[in-house]
Amino acid sequence: MELLSPRVNSARLPAFMGRTIVASHLRRTQSNELALVAFGQFQGTSVIVEACDGGQVEVRLNPNSELTATFVEIIGQVVGESAIKFMFGINLDSDKELDMKLVNDVVELTFDPRFKKMFPQ
Amino acid sequence: MIQLTSGICNRLSEATPEEIDEIGGGYTVQLVSIKKVTALSAAAPTIDRYRIIMSDGVHFIQAMLATQLNDLVSNEEIVKNSVVIIDKLTCNVLGDKRLIIVLDLHVVSREEEKIGNPTAAPSLAQPPAAAAESRPVVSAPAHQASHSAANEPVLAQPRPATSNRPGRSIYPIEGLNPYQNNWTIKARVTQKSEVRTWSNPRGDGKLFNVTLMDESGEIRGTGFNAVVDALYDKFEEGKVYYISKARVNLAKKKFSHIQNEYELSLERNTEVEECLEPSSLPMVKYNFVPLSQLEELQKDSVCDVICIVKEVGDLEEIMSKANRKLIKRDLIIVDKSQYAAKLTLWGKQAETFAADDLAVIAFKSVKVGDFGGKSLSVISSTLMTISPDIEEAHLLRGWYDGIGGEKTFQSYSNVSSGGGSSAAFNRNEMRSIFDVKQSQIGMDKVDFFSTRATIMHVKSENIAYPACPTQGCNKKVTEVNERWRCEKCDKTYERPEYRYILSMAVADWSGQTWLQGFNDAGLVVFDKSADEIMQMKEQNESEFNAYVAQAIGKTYNFSCRAKQDTYNEQTRVRYGIAKVSPLDYQEEAKHLRDLLMTSPWGQGT
Repeated sequence: MELLSPRVNSARLPAFMGRTIVASHLRRTQSNELALVAFGQFQGTSVIVEACDGGQVEVRLNPNSELTATFVEIIGQVVGESAIKFMFGINLDSDKELDMKLVNDVVELTFDPRFKKMFPQ
Repeated sequence: MIQLTSGICNRLSEATPEEIDEIGGGYTVQLVSIKKVTALSAAAPTIDRYRIIMSDGVHFIQAMLATQLNDLVSNEEIVKNSVVIIDKLTCNVLGDKRLIIVLDLHVVSREEEKIGNPTAAPSLAQPPAAAAESRPVVSAPAHQASHSAANEPVLAQPRPATSNRPGRSIYPIEGLNPYQNNWTIKARVTQKSEVRTWSNPRGDGKLFNVTLMDESGEIRGTGFNAVVDALYDKFEEGKVYYISKARVNLAKKKFSHIQNEYELSLERNTEVEECLEPSSLPMVKYNFVPLSQLEELQKDSVCDVICIVKEVGDLEEIMSKANRKLIKRDLIIVDKSQYAAKLTLWGKQAETFAADDLAVIAFKSVKVGDFGGKSLSVISSTLMTISPDIEEAHLLRGWYDGIGGEKTFQSYSNVSSGGGSSAAFNRNEMRSIFDVKQSQIGMDKVDFFSTRATIMHVKSENIAYPACPTQGCNKKVTEVNERWRCEKCDKTYERPEYRYILSMAVADWSGQTWLQGFNDAGLVVFDKSADEIMQMKEQNESEFNAYVAQAIGKTYNFSCRAKQDTYNEQTRVRYGIAKVSPLDYQEEAKHLRDLLMTSPWGQGT
């Protein structure tokens, strides 16, 4: 089980099915109602968030996990095409306006062949 | 056999220009020769001109065919020996030579035999009292023609190809040298200086300069004292003159930026004649440098630029080091290379500057300076032309009106209007500390650079000094009887206002160096006023030390000035902080992203 968790946006999630990733600068959407979802073995709450490339991601939370900030970075396991299982979260809120495009550009740059050695997958 | 108007040639050759106009037309002549005259200058459009020889059966004279009649020759409506009736002709006077120009004619008979055996018409009008002796040898045959019995002796002469003007051979400026004195140049005055006077222990004097230009090159001419009176008014900027009998000397490079090993000394016997015919000489020869390439030019070098004036500064008065009042005006100029630069006008030019908003201006011979990176300044030989009618100007206008107006320009250390703030941090031109030290920047002259570094150590012993509280005066005040005295303002104060005087070691990945900072720098680094920090030092030294230590490890963007300094017989380059700013991570990240994604540097492996 490797300990690498590449930083991804919503578009790249499917490529990492089953693996742990970092989803950075997720924005909690305005209507962050917690939905009680029960399908399969999953029982708990989940939140829909917007990734840095604008796509939607479902974050499945466990009772302990707290997500109060507007911008968060979540480390989690990819469990669906656009769903991750919450493992750890960091608050990224800032007074300054965050530039989502910049974040996404950086994420995309890490997958650039030029830097393959720097960002092993 | 057709009857020619005999005697007409004789009459024409003897008449004065006014009489010729009165003669009018209506006389029959035979064109015993039609020869094309090719223009020498590559710059001029190739308009053919035809030189004809008209004969009245007894005599022949030379004339030029007006260009509106050129078709007659190219269509072969008139050929050698055609007989024509002259409807209109005129006589141009060029110096001491008369030139007849046929303005209109109609053909009587196209193909004819040569009529009679004409000889050259006698007594060409005598030249007015001009120095005939020193005429170039070439013109001698013109007089020989009257003696020669040959059919077309006139045409055998070597002719100056360009001009309609027979006789003188025109030297190219490029060919002038001190060993040849018998020359005439035909040149345009592209610039005439003002009369400058001086006064030194040896006496007073005055002088003026002109810049002369022809297709081959440029040369500077200077006239002193009496020559100023004689020739200053004769020269007019933009006009073309025949000049001869000036002395060719080695150029004094110190006084002129013209590219020529030699220069002309205009003397009392120098001849200057205005050239009246339309000339094919180009107006001014430019060698435009795009603003993006200013960097490659040395300080004090001279160049030409063509640009759009984006901003016009106000007229300012400054004191020069020699305690003279100087008037100046700064312009911000931009061009197609998407760079902006500052250009300074001085004196009268600054005062009278009046161009439209965003006008295209061409500058010839502006000096490159290094104020705030790279800047431009007009000098005495600068020629400023607003909205010149040249291709470059039209291209620039089109570019700016189209897309240039929207663009942001890269400037040399972000010059803003109203004074170059060399203090601004230039992210694009950031240098590593190792590079700064190794390049010995600041050795010969004051220079500026930007760098990003982390504070490693701050000398805390002398972190601030007591300064005069008077606005603008920052002089150190001395404590006298429990009060503080400022020498400059001649005032004493209860309390001084402390100001930072920093000596910091900063480092980046490449190396470490010392920077000197003043109050502005201190405020950024410590986030407290110097008064506050000195108070802390007084009250609680350990708290003070801890606070100062907090500054260590913080990274900033520094905009610095490198200058050579001599202290105790030791000369070293010292780096002073002009501006220090904390990092704006978003801006820096954006810059890095742009570097990686779009810059050519980023595309390399």
